[in-house]
Amino acid sequence: MTDLSVTFDRNPIDRRALEPAASDVLMASDITVRFGDVVANDRVSLRVAAGEIHALLGENGAGKSTLMKVLYGVNAPESGTISIDGVPVTMSSPAVARSHGIGMVFQDLRLVPALTVAENVAVSTPSERYSHRRAIRSVSESAEKFGIAVSPTTVVRNLSLAERQQVEILRVLMSGARVVILDEPTSALAPHEVEALFATIEGIRSRGLSVVLITHKLREARATCDRLSVLRGGKQIVDAATPDTLDDDQLVEAMVGRTVAELAGPPNARQVGLLALRLSSVTIGADRGGAALSDVDLEVGRGELVGVAGVAGSGQRELYEAVLGLRSFTGRIEISDQVVRPNYPRTARAAGAVGVCEDPVADEVVAGLDVLQTFGLGAPLPRRGLSIDWSMAEERVAKLPELRNLNVASLDRGVATLSGGNIQRVFYARALASDAKLLVLAYPSRGLDIVTVRAGLAMVRDRCRQGVGVLMISEDIDELLGVCDRIVVLHHGRLVASVAASESDRQSIGQMMVGAV
Amino acid sequence: MTAISTAADTGERWNAAARLASVLIASLVVFGLLLVASGANPLSGYSAMWSSITRDSTAFGDVLIRTVPYLLGALAVSVPARAGLFNIGGEGQLLLGAIGAMAMANVLDQGLPRALTLVFMMSAGGALGASWAMIAAALRALAGVNEAISTLLLNYLATLLLGWLVFGRWKDPKSTGFPRTRPLADVESLPALWGRVHIGVLVVVPLAVMIAKALRSTSWGFRLTVLGRNPEAARRSGFHTTGLALSALATGGALAGLGGAIQLAGVESSLRPGIMSGYGFTAVLAAWMVRQSPLKAIASSLLLAAIAIGGNGLKIREGLSAASVNILMAIILLAVLGWGSRPTQSSKGATA
Repeated sequence: MTDLSVTFDRNPIDRRALEPAASDVLMASDITVRFGDVVANDRVSLRVAAGEIHALLGENGAGKSTLMKVLYGVNAPESGTISIDGVPVTMSSPAVARSHGIGMVFQDLRLVPALTVAENVAVSTPSERYSHRRAIRSVSESAEKFGIAVSPTTVVRNLSLAERQQVEILRVLMSGARVVILDEPTSALAPHEVEALFATIEGIRSRGLSVVLITHKLREARATCDRLSVLRGGKQIVDAATPDTLDDDQLVEAMVGRTVAELAGPPNARQVGLLALRLSSVTIGADRGGAALSDVDLEVGRGELVGVAGVAGSGQRELYEAVLGLRSFTGRIEISDQVVRPNYPRTARAAGAVGVCEDPVADEVVAGLDVLQTFGLGAPLPRRGLSIDWSMAEERVAKLPELRNLNVASLDRGVATLSGGNIQRVFYARALASDAKLLVLAYPSRGLDIVTVRAGLAMVRDRCRQGVGVLMISEDIDELLGVCDRIVVLHHGRLVASVAASESDRQSIGQMMVGAV
Repeated sequence: MTAISTAADTGERWNAAARLASVLIASLVVFGLLLVASGANPLSGYSAMWSSITRDSTAFGDVLIRTVPYLLGALAVSVPARAGLFNIGGEGQLLLGAIGAMAMANVLDQGLPRALTLVFMMSAGGALGASWAMIAAALRALAGVNEAISTLLLNYLATLLLGWLVFGRWKDPKSTGFPRTRPLADVESLPALWGRVHIGVLVVVPLAVMIAKALRSTSWGFRLTVLGRNPEAARRSGFHTTGLALSALATGGALAGLGGAIQLAGVESSLRPGIMSGYGFTAVLAAWMVRQSPLKAIASSLLLAAIAIGGNGLKIREGLSAASVNILMAIILLAVLGWGSRPTQSSKGATA
């Protein structure tokens, strides 16, 4: 295991001299930010040229957001300088940052749902007097100028997440931003929406403006950026390198600090003729009436890993809940030939189904329980007399390899006090360690670092090889293509396709997801 | 690790204890002001209360025997509360317990030895109390009726049932017109320890400890706790949630029913209208004062019993209504709910 920061220090890749280049609009040098004992940014630099798309890569907690907050005047650095066009400035507040041409699009969009697009833009770009007509005119002019397709009179509530994001970008551009910072902009977008976003970003660049793209997705960074920087653990690992000087493995190593196992590949262990799960003509009601999924036929063989792809909200949650007997449905669901009764989760459980749900904080976390007790929820507990023998339970749980592989928090930690990613590890590990015959995994990799993601998927694959059937819902097509035997696609409440992963690609899955095939 | 943590550390626990003490003192001050307003001297009022519970062993015994129905009623709140259910039906469940014990006594007709007779009577009381609570549980499971409402309304039904019995079928012909049942015979009454103090007082404290242990360390208690804190998690863990809720309410009802049976066989001896009136609600207060902890309910029940018995001193020495101590209890309840149990900032915990 090599420490790449050392390697890069010895052989700096594209480490230019630190004096401002003529073309650098924004230059932050040697930024150090400390929160108590934690050094969030340790002498970190970022240089962004005019007309550049600059990707800032790093895992959760690498210090990307901290650096951006420094640039946007939210956090004050302990040391370091920021200059705009070579002139040192102090970003004492977001307003100051905006006046210097720094614009920020946060992950959680900050539009007012009840107002129209034009009104939302007007709110953040106050002119002397608000004029309805002028607001609409300036929005449509700017939208045309930047190639953003948005109607100024639409009420924001009626826009999709992707459309709202475009409005946010437009709003930032209209307030005079020359450097637009996008924080994880693709995390909630469907593939076609990602393409539209990148077209917009391209449009911004073509007008000589700059974009900083914060991401942890390699493909994205590689496909769009002119230069990239990598942070890890608050330290600068790569400073403004051109993407072709580093291959994928090097980039991952730079982000993670060690080599990461390849995606395991599909398990290829389907046991012919034996079914872990069968849905016949299943129709699942939506929360607000109507059907979320109609007339679904689906089979998962023992030892088979079936991925479920689909644009967010295509019925994934309902599918998960129906299979586990958590909601009502019509039609027939069988797990290992045992019938699941609608709204009787115990029947699914007894048949051997175990799930990792989409929102464990709301649906699975019990306040006051520690990690051990949370594991205890999922399985019969050892007893001594009438009492639960927790020390015996601890002995058993502590031995589970899943704890180590997924880096689960220590057993005596209160599960409600853990971060989202650490909570995910608990439930993921619990499901993998169970005696399930069918695993239903909803977004199992969410919130996890890449090392844990790969370790988790490798264990899923192992379970398949032991004869467990797996239904895995994911928003990451690459992940599905990388590990699944077969992928089914949900679109508009229907199961529209079922394809072998080996005979499919990102493009075709993406098209099926939006109903283009 | 084995217990489900409620307070983060001992420092916080001391904090909570200090808070509770200050709440009690403040309540006494407020009630003192009310005594002044009604023309009484609060100091002599409190001293009257104090002396009426410490005067002699009989007075203190009265406090002990009053603690019994309060504590069992409080446990009847605590167990369902663990599962997130509000049992406000202690009042009715106590009455049904007494009715059950009386019915069993009538059936046995003094044909069995004393110990057996009493065991049967207590069991009948517990069973009838449990059945009464299960009406609410069934309404909740089948029709989604909120158990706080149904248990509360069942109290009035229980009072009517008692009236129907003592004015009708069970009316003692020798009671010269008073609506009451026959007094229990010796074989149907709990043996006394001293004075009026019956052996029931020896039963309830170990019972509270047992309940606390069952909630803390058995699989049943664990599941009830999960159900109470996150019903969705309980459902997703494959728990039989309806059955669990039913068992919690039934256990509560059985405890209150036992309380009613003990009160009949140890203190009241015959059923009459107004018997144990308000005991169930006082028990709710006893449970809520200590956040439904079965062990701490021993102390809160004792405290409320002392206040209730002390109220007699107010009546006799200060000429105030005995019901005036209800005001003190109400003040304490409001104060405890308002300040006593507010979660501290740090108990929410930091994320990591």
